[in-house]
Order: sequence, then structure tokens, then C-alpha cells
Amino acid sequence: MSAPPILELRQIQKSFGGAWALRGVDFDLYPGEVHALLGENGAGKSTLIKIITGAHPPDAGTVKIGGNVVTGLTPATTQKLGISCIYQQPALFPDLTVAENIALRLETGAKLRRIAWPARRARARDLLFRLGAAISPETEIRHLSMPEQQLVEIACAIGAGARIVIMDEPTAALTQKEQQRLFNVVRDLRKSGVGVIYISHRLEEIFALADRVTVLRDGQSVGTQPVAAINQATLIKMMVGREVTQNYPKRTTPLGAVVLRLENLGCARAGVQDVSFSLHAGEIFGLAGLVGAGRTELARILFGLTPADSGEIRLHEKSVALSSPQAAVARGIAYVPEDRRRHGVVLEMALEENISMASHRRLFPRRWLQTAAEDRLARGFIRDLAIKCAGPSALGGSLSGGNQQKVALARWLATKPIVLILDEPTQGVDIGAKGEIHKIVRQLAHEGIAVLLISSDLPEVLGMSDRIGVMRAGRLTAILPRGSDAATVMSAALGQSELDPV
Amino acid sequence: MNRYFRELSVTGALAIILLGLAAFAPAFFQPQPLLSLATREAPTLIVAGGMALVIITRQIDISVGSQFSVSGICAGLLAARGWPLPLVLIAAISIGALLGALNGLLVAGLRLPSIVVTLATMVTLRQGLNLVRQGEFVNLPDSIQWFGLSQAAGQWALVIFTLLFTVGLGVALRHIAAGRLVYAVGTDAEAARLAGISPQRVTFCAFVCLGGLTGLAAMMNLVQSPQIQPLSGQGMELKVIAAVVVGGVAISGGRGNLWGALAGLMLLACIAPALTHLHVEAYWEKAIQGGIILLAVMADGWRARKGGR
Amino acid sequence: MRTEPQPSPRDWPTRLLRHEMLLLYVLLAEWLFFYFAGTTVNRKGVLVGFGTLDRQFDILRHSCEIGLLALALTPIILTAGIDLSVGSLLGLCAILFGKLWHDGGLSLPLATTLTLILGGIGGALNATLITALRLPPLIVTLGTYSLFRGLAEAITRGAITYTDFPGEFLFIGQERWLGLPTQAWLFFTVALAVTLLVHRTTFGRSFRAIGFSPEGARYAGLPVARRLALVYTLAGIIAALAAIIYTARLGQAKADAGTGYELFAITAVVLGGTSIFGGTGSVYGTLLGVAAIAVLKNGLACLPVVMRMNAAEEMAGLLTGALLLFALAGSVLPKLWAAGRSRRSPPSSP
Repeated sequence: MSAPPILELRQIQKSFGGAWALRGVDFDLYPGEVHALLGENGAGKSTLIKIITGAHPPDAGTVKIGGNVVTGLTPATTQKLGISCIYQQPALFPDLTVAENIALRLETGAKLRRIAWPARRARARDLLFRLGAAISPETEIRHLSMPEQQLVEIACAIGAGARIVIMDEPTAALTQKEQQRLFNVVRDLRKSGVGVIYISHRLEEIFALADRVTVLRDGQSVGTQPVAAINQATLIKMMVGREVTQNYPKRTTPLGAVVLRLENLGCARAGVQDVSFSLHAGEIFGLAGLVGAGRTELARILFGLTPADSGEIRLHEKSVALSSPQAAVARGIAYVPEDRRRHGVVLEMALEENISMASHRRLFPRRWLQTAAEDRLARGFIRDLAIKCAGPSALGGSLSGGNQQKVALARWLATKPIVLILDEPTQGVDIGAKGEIHKIVRQLAHEGIAVLLISSDLPEVLGMSDRIGVMRAGRLTAILPRGSDAATVMSAALGQSELDPV
Repeated sequence: MNRYFRELSVTGALAIILLGLAAFAPAFFQPQPLLSLATREAPTLIVAGGMALVIITRQIDISVGSQFSVSGICAGLLAARGWPLPLVLIAAISIGALLGALNGLLVAGLRLPSIVVTLATMVTLRQGLNLVRQGEFVNLPDSIQWFGLSQAAGQWALVIFTLLFTVGLGVALRHIAAGRLVYAVGTDAEAARLAGISPQRVTFCAFVCLGGLTGLAAMMNLVQSPQIQPLSGQGMELKVIAAVVVGGVAISGGRGNLWGALAGLMLLACIAPALTHLHVEAYWEKAIQGGIILLAVMADGWRARKGGR
Repeated sequence: MRTEPQPSPRDWPTRLLRHEMLLLYVLLAEWLFFYFAGTTVNRKGVLVGFGTLDRQFDILRHSCEIGLLALALTPIILTAGIDLSVGSLLGLCAILFGKLWHDGGLSLPLATTLTLILGGIGGALNATLITALRLPPLIVTLGTYSLFRGLAEAITRGAITYTDFPGEFLFIGQERWLGLPTQAWLFFTVALAVTLLVHRTTFGRSFRAIGFSPEGARYAGLPVARRLALVYTLAGIIAALAAIIYTARLGQAKADAGTGYELFAITAVVLGGTSIFGGTGSVYGTLLGVAAIAVLKNGLACLPVVMRMNAAEEMAGLLTGALLLFALAGSVLPKLWAAGRSRRSPPSSP
């Protein structure tokens, strides 16, 4: 690698509302290399990408593109500098044809010029041909499958003469065959001198494709290694490496009876199939897996948002149909969703209104609002969960992430649930609030609630759970006991049957 | 599913109605009444072209009827003062464009919901006009009638011009870069922004175009009669929106074309004469129009659900 | 626009109160203006015009129907929806009522009950299309706006007007009971009921949550579709009640009853501080908005200048439309300025 790097990041820092996303990350990319970026969820990968594409400005640090320091990047300027990003969810116009989508990205010029449709089509056909894609330029984007849409995105990037191509988990939705085709495309890009930043959770892809790999953890770079010099075990170790230093609260009471039993549960629409496990009162059942493994989808089935179409849900050994969230709530199932700003709290409503929202039936049995009771409830939770706020009438949006999460939790605790599903409860939460949430969750289990804890934070799952279920591709692939080590869980999640001896 | 399924099915429905008329009421196809019908509907078609633009950008304008009345009366007053025809035409288009720009400014500039904005401008303009004119008609000079041509020639000229114009606009929407921006903005304003398009500017321009076309349509209405009345455009908005929506322009933006709007308008335009010829009372027209709008959006809704979007 | 939180410096109750207080001052100023400009003493030395008690009752009498529609629209707009069909439904219900009584030979109470039910069915049609097929309320109610009015015209063949209602029925619309116009009592009852519904029950809470974030409401286990169905159906019933009052006030039922009322009703709601984007707003604001429009409409008719122009109706329409535009612009301009000052913010989809 004699050529100078086309992209150099030095000491990049970024924080969101007090929570560090990146604390001094170095990263570089040479022309004609595939540089893999690896890390757990929340390790800072997407923030780093957003800084490169100009979607977020860094708090500190320098960005050099082609040897020049650049500041004040926006998505438009980075495109001009030759950076293209292919997201998991392609940002195309669904109602327009392939040729037109490519043209809208590439063509500039007078608004009133005549469109040369044949030329547009020819160029689209040419670009797609170079990718080996059998897509007609006349097809509308919404008729294309996800991988085909990705190919169109890549065609745009090639057409724009991109020097840096970022691929964010491009294979998440692809079949084996499509993956191979994509790999060939990436190899071609490398051959033509393009630098590729490749993000993936699948280790075998990294070994098959990448020249170097950088592992991020907790917003810091753990190290950059040539792929030829490391093996999978080392890589897994780098990813999870951190010792479980935090003191996770331990279970002190014996498990209760089985509360929730799933038998061969599935939902074709949500891509979940054949999930069976049981959940005891007082137990914290951790659910590990990669993003897109079907964990949130399973939670949505249990909460009645996408009802199951096969299998059985048994609550206290009685078969129940959870056809809507109302049905789930009525049966004592609570779900603290992953996206708290969109689903967890209504940002524009007062804290007390948010907390009482799921327990209208219980709190106001005759449908009349009892502001005194509501106030009491809210104050109780503010005290018990130590929610930092101006008072019960503060708006949900005025709180920090951790406190919003506590409000979302309080809303569901107010329903006095039997089963509590927590989806990434500490994502984007600062470390102090994280510890508090852990304590609360353990306390709830102690009080007899069955907790289903979905988390991509491996130490959290390992430290909190009494048992750990691992999901991969919509199936529950393993149930591991407490005390399992990170490598075992990660291997099950990645689909690694055996590990290379270290 | 075929891309032009909707356009084809509307054309099919139109063909069925025409066939039914041919079988049961052949009187419908006499050339003179048919030409008169086409002439009467010509201004509506012009407005429908503009409305299609606005709806494709995911907005709506229910003030076109009032814009039509205002432009018509203003143009009529100028004509009555002896302005030459070309100047009157330019004035009518400019007034329409100005009114469209007002809507565009409020919708694109202040990001207000177009339905409420245009509801307000609809009533403001209409009542303003009523206030000023007190329902008074404007008598037009003979020179304006049919552009100074004979009635038959004028009618032919009007119909042919309208068809050519609509085809031209349809072609422009497909073959001029600016036309495609309209679709891009309506499909996904955020993606358009990322692609370097200003959704605000495109939306504003769509409203101005609609206003200008409404002015043109008012002028085309003006030449058809010796008098012009202030209520000439009342209820037009519904007919135009119905035609456009029935013709497959999705109210959710980004989809549809002018051929569909043309077929949709012809379908709606045939209803009233068909009702008379088939001895159904004409009072049902409005109800049937409403029913057709509902059917069209229901079809869209069903398709969207099936497509899982 | 919704996903970006608005970290407001003051919490919303105080802000809302401010808006309503402001509107109250405007209303008072408006009233005083018309009182002094619109009241005269005629040749016989009798007070005529705006300042008379009769005129005040007249204002009340005339604002009942639009007021009812505005009350019906308040919960709908709180859920970030809209219903353009209420005016047309009023017309259809008036015709149906007339037909049931006149041609159907039903007793008045029975006809009234049936009309209320039919109005509910009309609203339920909107509700079904909006919730079951997930169609945008705007286009659905634009369709029913045409459908309902068209049905009214079809039933009457554009010509029939039902008249000759008995005196005890006209009492509702033309007489006074306990000192106030009779229909005012009905109006106040509905106003009280809607106020309680919106501000004192869990229903109102759900409406606001749905208006702010329909997905968030769904994740909180609120029955979003049922609540939406409720507000649209309720609007149908209230429109039917307004139709009966309208018929009783004029003593006749015609197909064009309530034409354009939807605009006045929407204006009253928006003027009253209910956000067209859903979530914030109050019934008190709506009532003030209704009063402001009613005073304007009637006050103009008392002004000597306008009387000479003989165009109070048009003037009122013009001013109401302009008022709506200003209220809308006023509701977003501060936000836009704030956004523009902090940073060139990305535009939301229009």
C-alpha cells in the first residue's frame, strides 16, 4: 500500500446528549482495499459512517479526504468528493424506474432540458451489466427485491465514479447466491482502485473479502489488523474483549412457576419461525443475536403487533391468542420497545400522561381521568426509578435518553405486568442510568415478574440473564445457561458451529 | 402488475360506457352535441393537467374553482374595456399564476397543510369576488367570442388546442427533466432532498403552474359565452380532483400521468349525458362523482395493502 | 415535523392558556367594536343593531349549527385528522329528516332519532374507510363531501323543500326556553359533553396521543383504530343534530343546507388554538373561535357601511378565510423562525 490513504480520520469524537458515541477514533482507508468495520451494536459504527458521509458533524478530530482536511461536510458535499454509501435500506424513489433513479443521482443540468430516455436506459443497462445484474432499467424500484435495490445503489455509486464506497451490512437480506455476486462486485470495485468500507456481522464474509479489519468497542477503536494475520477467535475476542467489569445484580430468590411458554411459535410475515421456550416467574431470560435475527420481531408477536400465524402461546399454561396490543396488555404482557423516541414515549406529552398511558383501564376504571391518582402514580415512579425531571408535567421530549427509558419502563410497570419484554433497554443510555436500569430490572424479577431481555450488549445479556436464548435468522438456535462466556454466545449468534483453537 | 393497469382500466370503463351509449342511446354520438360537450369540458381538462402536477407532488388544491372565477372575471372586465385578446389572455394566465403562487407560498414556504390553506383561499377568493361583484355578470364584446371565429370553427379550435396542449404537457412531464422532479418530490421528498432537489421549490412551481393553467382555462371558458358570471368556477375543484384521482394519479403522490387524467375526465364528463340519455335523473351526478372518488381511493388503498407498502 | 421533539421552554398548559386568553381579548375587542360601531338609535328612539339583547340572542341562535360542527371537528383535528364532509352530511341529514317525517309519516321524535342514527352511519362510513382501509381522511372525506351532498340533491331532485313543520318542532329553532334560544341549550349540552370527553376522560387522552404519534399510541396499547372510528362516527351524529336544529331554525329542509359550513367549523377550531398537525388544542378554544366568527358575521351585518353594501355575508366569508390563513401562518411562523435561527433545518415532507 504505497499510495497515500484516500480517507483518514484522526481522533474523531462525538457525543449525543452526554452519551459518548465515539471517543477518539482513528480510521484510514487506502485505494483498492476493502476495510471491514466490526463491532457490537452501539459500538459506534453507524456514527462513524454518518460522520464520513457528513450526516453528523464530529465534535472533535479531523477528517482528511484525498489528503486534504475537510470540514463542514454535508451529504451533498461528500457525494461530490466521491463518497457513496449503500445503506441496508436503499434510499431510492420506489415509484420511479431503475433508469430514472440512476439518472436522478447522476445527472445535473438545466431543469428544462429534454430528457434523453434512450441514453438514460443505455447507461443504466451498462452500469447494471458491469455489476452482472439482470435487472431491466424499465422496472420500477418497488418491484425489485432488496438485493436488487442494493445493486441499483451500487450502480449509482459506480456511475458517480465514487472513490470511497461504504456498505452497511449489505448482505443482511441476501441469499447465499446473491452474496457471492455482491462479493464479486466488491472485488471488482477493489480492483479498479476504489476504497470500500465494509460493515458486517458475518465473520466469514470479512475473511472472504476484507484486507484489513478495524474493531470498534464502546466508541473506541480496539485495533486495526490485516485480515491475513488474525483468525475468527481473535476477532471475537476483540469484539467482546471487555471483561464484565460492571457489577451486575445477581438473582437471590428461587425461580417461580412457568409463566409463559412458547411452542413452535412463528409468523411468516415477521420472518420468525419455530420458536419454543418457557419463561419462569422471577426469571430474566436474555435474548441475544444479531440485528435482524428476529428478536424484535418475536417481541412484536408476543405484544400482538404482528400476531403469530403458527404455534402456540401459553400464559400460565393456558393457550392465549394475542391478536392486538390491547389483548396482550389485558393479559399482563408489557413491551418496552426499542425505539423509545418513536414508540416508547410520546415526546410532546407530559411525563405523567406518558406513564399512565398504558394503564388507563386500571387507573381510570370508569374512564374519567383522576388527575390526583395520576399525579401520585407519576411521582411514585419518579421517586422509585429516580427519574430526573422538572416534575410530573415535564414533557417527555425534555428528558435525557436514560430518563426517557425510565419513563417508558414506568409506563409498563404501572400496568403491573406478568411478563415484561425489554427491547434494548440500555441502548444510547449513559453508563450511570444503565446501572440503575439493571438494578430496577433485577428488582422487578425479584418481585416475580418474568423478564424477557432483548439486548445486543453482550456483557449486559451475560451479566443480567438467568438463561440466554440466542436467535439467528428468525430461529432460536441455542439456550445457554447462566455463566456462559461471550465467545459461546457470539458463536451461536454468528452461526459458527466450531471455533478455531486459540 | 402492469404499470399502466389503472390507466387501461379507466379507459376500459370509458369504452364500456360509450358502448352502452351506442347501444341504448345512439343519439349521444351526434357530432354537434358531442362537439359542444367536448368544448364545455375543455377548460376542465386544462385545469386537470395542472391538478395532476400538484397531486403528484403530494399536495392538493381545492381553490381552483375560485381561481377560475377570479381570473375569468378579471379577464372579462379587461376584455370589456377593449383590451386586445392576446393581452387579455396573458393577463388571465398571470392572475391565475399569481393566485397559485399565493397558495404555493403558504404551502411550500410555511409548510402548512395544503388542504386547509386552499380551503381558506377558496373561500376568501370566492367571497371576495362576490363582495366586489355582487353577483353581477360581465358582458363581453363580440370580438372576444370564439376568438372572433365562427362558432363551429371556434369550438374545433378550442378542442384541438386543448388536446394538443394536454398531450404536450403529458410529454413534457415525461421528457423534460423538470417534469421528473415533480415525481421525485412526490414519491419521497426526503430522498429528493438527498438527491439535491429542493422539494419546496418544486411544490411552489407546481402550484404556480396550476394557477397559470387555471387562468388559461378561465380564458377558454370566457370565449364560449357572451357573458361571464362570478360563479363560473364553483364546484370545479371536485370535478377536477375526481377526474385526476380516478385517472390513477395517487393522492399519496408520485404516481400517475396525464393520459389517466384525460381518461378519467372523459369518464366523468360522459356520466351526465349518459344519465340523461339513459333516462336517469341528472341530480345523481354529484353523488355518483363522490362515489367514483371513493371507489378510486379504495382501489388504491387495496392495492397498497396488497403491495405491503 | 413530528419526529423532531420541540423542547418547549414552557409546558403546554400555560402556552395553551395563553393562546386562549389572547383569543378572548380579541373576542372582547371585536365585540366592543361592533357594540359601538354597530348600535344606533332609530327615529322612534329605540335602540337597534348590534347592542340589543335580541341581536345577541340571534348571534347565539345562528352560531349553534356551525358551533356543533366545530365541536365535532375538535376531537378529529386533535387526532391529526380532518373531516370535510360534515357540512354535506348536515344537508343530507336535513333532507332525510324531512323525508322521514313528511313522506315517511313518522312522528317527530322517531324521525329525529332515526336521523341521528343515519348521521352516525354516515360518519361510520368515513370511519370505516379511514381505519379499515387506512386511507387518508382528507381524500375520503372529500369523496363523502361530494357523495352526501349529491345524495341530498338526488333525493330532492334539486327542487323539493320540506316545510310545514309543526310549531312544537319549530320551538327548538325559533323560540326561547328559560330565557335563551332553545337550541342554545342543546348546543351547550353537546359542548359540555365534548369538553368532558376531550378533557376529562381517557378518550381525550388517546386522541391527543394519536395526534402526536399514532405509532407511539399503538405501542402504548391504545386502541387507535377504535378511537379514530369513534371520533368520525361522533362527528356524523353531531352533524345530524345540527341538521335538525338547522331545519327547526329555518322551518324548512333543503338540499343545500349547511353548504360551506365545514370551512367555518375548521376555522373556528384552528382559530381556537387546535393544531392542524394534531395533539394540542382544547374545546374551550374552539368555543371561543366559534364565538369570534359568529360575532364577526353578525356584527358586520349591523355596520352601517356594510349594510349599505348589502354584503355582510360575503364580507364575513372573506374575513373568515383570511382569518384562517393568518391563524395557520401564526401557528407555524414562530416555529419556523426558531428553526431557522438555530440551524438550517432539514425540511420535513410537506
